[in-house]
Amino acid sequence: MSSRALRQPLSLRLTSNIFLAFWCLVAIFPIFWITVMSFKSPVDAFDSNALNVIFGPTTLSNGNGLSLLDIILGIAVIWGTIALVFKKMPAMIRAYSREGLEWFGWVIGILAAAVGFLVVFFVILPAILNVLNPLLGPLGRDILGLTTEHYKTVWIDRGFSNNFKNSLIVTSGVVILSLSVGTLAGYGLARSGSNLAFWLLIVALIFRALPPSALVASYLPVFISSSEWLAPILGENAPTLYGKPFAVIAVLVAINQPFTIWMLRSFFQNIPAELDEAARVDGCNHFQAFRRVIMPVMWPGVITTGLFSFLLAYNDILVTSLLLDAQNQTMVPAIVGMFNRETTTTDQVVAVAAAVSITAPLIFLVLIFQRQIVSGLTAGAVKG
Amino acid sequence: MNFRTFAAFVGPSVFMMLLFIAFPLISVFKQSFYVTQPIYETVEKETCTPGFLTQTCVTETVSQPRLDEEGKVITQTQYVGWESYRNVLEPERAWRAISDGNWNVLSTINFWKALRFTLTFTLITLPLVIVCGLGIAVMINNAAHAIRGPVIFISLLPFIITPVIGVLSVNWLFRGDGILTALLEWWLNRDIALFAQAWTIEVLMMLYRVWHVAPFAAIVFYAGLQTVNQDSLESAVIDGATRWQRMKYIVIPHLMPLIIFVSMIHLMDSYRVFEEIVGFASQGYVISLQWLTYDFLVPDQAGNRSISRASASAMLTMIGIAILLIFPLRRTWRDHKGGH
Amino acid sequence: MKLKTILMAGAMSIAATGAWADCAFENDVPLKSLSAGFEAWKAVTDAMAECGNFSASLDQEFREKQPEAFAADPALYQIGGVSNATLVPLLNAGTVRPLDDLVEKYGQDLLPNQLIKVDGKTMAIAMMVNAQHLMYRDDVLAELDIEEPKSYDDVLAAAAKIKEAGVMDYPIGGTFKTGWNLGQEFVNMYLGEGGAFFGDGNMPAINNEQGVAALETLKAMTDYMDPEYLVSDSTYVQQQFQQGKIAMANLWASRAAAMNDEAESQVVGKVTMAAAPMGSAVPATTIWWDGIVLASNMSDEEADAAFRVALEGMDTDMVSANNDVAVWLSPAYSAGDLAAGAAASAEGGAKAYPASGPMGIMHTSLGNGLADYLTGAKDAPTTLADIEADYITAAKEAGLISN
Repeated sequence: MSSRALRQPLSLRLTSNIFLAFWCLVAIFPIFWITVMSFKSPVDAFDSNALNVIFGPTTLSNGNGLSLLDIILGIAVIWGTIALVFKKMPAMIRAYSREGLEWFGWVIGILAAAVGFLVVFFVILPAILNVLNPLLGPLGRDILGLTTEHYKTVWIDRGFSNNFKNSLIVTSGVVILSLSVGTLAGYGLARSGSNLAFWLLIVALIFRALPPSALVASYLPVFISSSEWLAPILGENAPTLYGKPFAVIAVLVAINQPFTIWMLRSFFQNIPAELDEAARVDGCNHFQAFRRVIMPVMWPGVITTGLFSFLLAYNDILVTSLLLDAQNQTMVPAIVGMFNRETTTTDQVVAVAAAVSITAPLIFLVLIFQRQIVSGLTAGAVKG
Repeated sequence: MNFRTFAAFVGPSVFMMLLFIAFPLISVFKQSFYVTQPIYETVEKETCTPGFLTQTCVTETVSQPRLDEEGKVITQTQYVGWESYRNVLEPERAWRAISDGNWNVLSTINFWKALRFTLTFTLITLPLVIVCGLGIAVMINNAAHAIRGPVIFISLLPFIITPVIGVLSVNWLFRGDGILTALLEWWLNRDIALFAQAWTIEVLMMLYRVWHVAPFAAIVFYAGLQTVNQDSLESAVIDGATRWQRMKYIVIPHLMPLIIFVSMIHLMDSYRVFEEIVGFASQGYVISLQWLTYDFLVPDQAGNRSISRASASAMLTMIGIAILLIFPLRRTWRDHKGGH
Repeated sequence: MKLKTILMAGAMSIAATGAWADCAFENDVPLKSLSAGFEAWKAVTDAMAECGNFSASLDQEFREKQPEAFAADPALYQIGGVSNATLVPLLNAGTVRPLDDLVEKYGQDLLPNQLIKVDGKTMAIAMMVNAQHLMYRDDVLAELDIEEPKSYDDVLAAAAKIKEAGVMDYPIGGTFKTGWNLGQEFVNMYLGEGGAFFGDGNMPAINNEQGVAALETLKAMTDYMDPEYLVSDSTYVQQQFQQGKIAMANLWASRAAAMNDEAESQVVGKVTMAAAPMGSAVPATTIWWDGIVLASNMSDEEADAAFRVALEGMDTDMVSANNDVAVWLSPAYSAGDLAAGAAASAEGGAKAYPASGPMGIMHTSLGNGLADYLTGAKDAPTTLADIEADYITAAKEAGLISN
């Protein structure tokens, strides 16, 4: 609040900020904790003494650790990367990419930053530290137990990259299809005052309220036997829908439609109807008006809605665990499988490492789109 | 917009919802009034299973479904009316418990036990989510511009994290000698077992849900706060309104549509509470309606499942949500009519 | 982690997918398997994959998928992993293939013990057995001069002594997690007491003296267990053992190896495997087996290949490489100390798990209904009566009890 009249007394600001700091601690703690656990040996990870979990004495005695120097340089590299991405990169991207192709610049920029970070952090830095650590005496002695072996197990031995690829396919499919179907419907609903539109929305809302487990179970037999009942229509080529990513994408899009059309409808309602009416006076039909006038201004709302679709698809377990088989399984059911398997404590920590791995992309996503989410919501993507 | 254009715009979306939601829904509705079962016959059967060194063979009479010529199981479908609903609701037992005034017995009947928890969970977390969300939003709005970005980022983490993993990580923090339980024990200097009685598990589940959903509410409210009319705030200050009065008469009414939106989403989601039950393995103490449906639906190790009861329970869950949603929806109807 | 190791490992994993070096033949028929996901299945399916053209689904939803996938024509998976309980729905639906011809052709190395026969026809090949049996900390018990517990009275007496001596607050561990685990505990106890689950026409018959005795033993044990017992599954009990928090538990034989795992256990060499404690009749445990079946909806050529691949999965190389993962049924298996508990229980007369359609429902009803007794919400006869009522409702809906 910029106005002088609205300025708050110091005590109030202080309390407010203290509470905010407390909230941030609460918000981040569980995630921070599983991250710490994932780097420790099984004995340390499930220790009931918090300090043992953080410092990892057993991990350290197994010969996996970091020295003070490792930590300082590691943090420096991470900090440098963040600073580069947030401070320098926007300017560079604006400078080098052509008008309208900025998103492409961002993709290239972030890929470059990620690759650069991996190379520096995992190749150059260890090489330098291998030389420096023995030279520095106490500074170079390992003090913090830390091991990356669980990540190695997850990604290399367990073939988690395959699950990652499958998640990528399903999630991007859902986001793209969900938004293209949803924007059309949202626009139609926003511009129609008919009772039909209202009842459609209500029915959609009831659909959203359905307990999904009841629906999903009824898909399985139909999907498994689809090559039999589709044969009269499609003949020889009738596909078995079970285990096919496109079938799962369709299901997830449908389940997500109610929320998507509600969000987008409210967003389109906030775009003045005069805009497209003016276009229609100029001789456009509804579709042309939509393409020429609405599409250019709808992106904030679409990005916000897209993020929700992304979360739904990425985090889904009910549909994906039931309708996909192991070869095209996505990440979340794979992880839950790891936990539920008859496991050793080591397996549990490996599963924790997998859990942290799937959280990382979500964090990147929020980093990139954070501003758009807020502006999308501000622009009225949510309005009762 | 005429009907044909409208239909063209909403067509694809409606088609997908019909195909993947409405049709299964109709079949769920139908199944709740029918029972489909194989026809069993009793046969003598000798089964040999491995012991350690030798086989043990037993001959026993077992029930085995009859197969047709093609080797498929013959099933028969029967109309059973409201019986599946009766089996879920167990009205006689419930009524007896109520007329005896014996609430403990009522709370051991699955459906009523689940309904009790689901309603408590929904109605307690709702105000908490709204208040926490609003509080966080206002505090972020109060903070210096430089730290807003990072704070919003951190606030969003609990919301975006995969729910299954969020539940598990909270589970580890508290279960057994999890470090937060250990911390509590050290602080209160007594032995604590948070997963050993119903109420602590319920509190944990509610706290988890608030932790998970409050960021969503906060970010929506924060967006709403950006559009509060500064002029009316300033004139309120000139009129001598206190901070609290400004909040109450200007900010909250401005945010009202958003509060209703968040409430609606939250009502729907928390009435379907499920991940918490599985993640905290709480079914020994508390169960929810969606868990009940799920439990009917999952086949046991011998492949039996109670589809009819699951369908009945799903329909009952849906009716419950519909009733809860009537209040917020009346407003949408007025807006819809007023907006055009 | 160095970039070079990542690249190397990546290259190796690509090379590994094409390898069939350790397999006796090169498989050229595309095959898929669906099974549960525990460690033994991982070992077996990895060995099958050495033959090439094979992909395994170790799926936690396999119970739900297997009957449907085997009923499809052609079957979506040629090889299925089952246990004595999960074989029931496949047998009922008639979707598994009799294996006698294939056993005759390729099964020279199988033990007669491995052939699961139903009405004289071989329907499945068992690869391992599993049972819950007593594991105890011999150092703790020896220090307090406690003999190896033979019955549940012994176990409770030992627990009381350990608690009194202040060695441990909660000496007993138990897989009492509500649901399947808790149901299994009751099944063990009830069969140990000599009870029978069903009367005529699949009617339940657990509300009797043996049932009450089984419940009372379970309840008596909970006094010496961590109060969070209703959420503790096998992995948790195993972890408690490894961290030295408990002294006795009736735990699965397949968990025995974890006690001596240097990387995570603090009680290496201190845990003894003994027979499951006696009930009034037989040891209070049930014997399970796991094995493979072939789907009936596939060509003979596929069945031929599938059977050979499946046998490769259980060959001597696999068993000797994973000796301690399970109690294997194989000539190559050397039963060490870790298998002693399971073997002793079997010798004592422990029964096989009485798998059947009605038993599936009963197990679920037990698993969901017992918690009310343990938490004190109901007394024993009411609990058993309510479980019977729940069973009857479900069994009627399934058509197992005529109205």
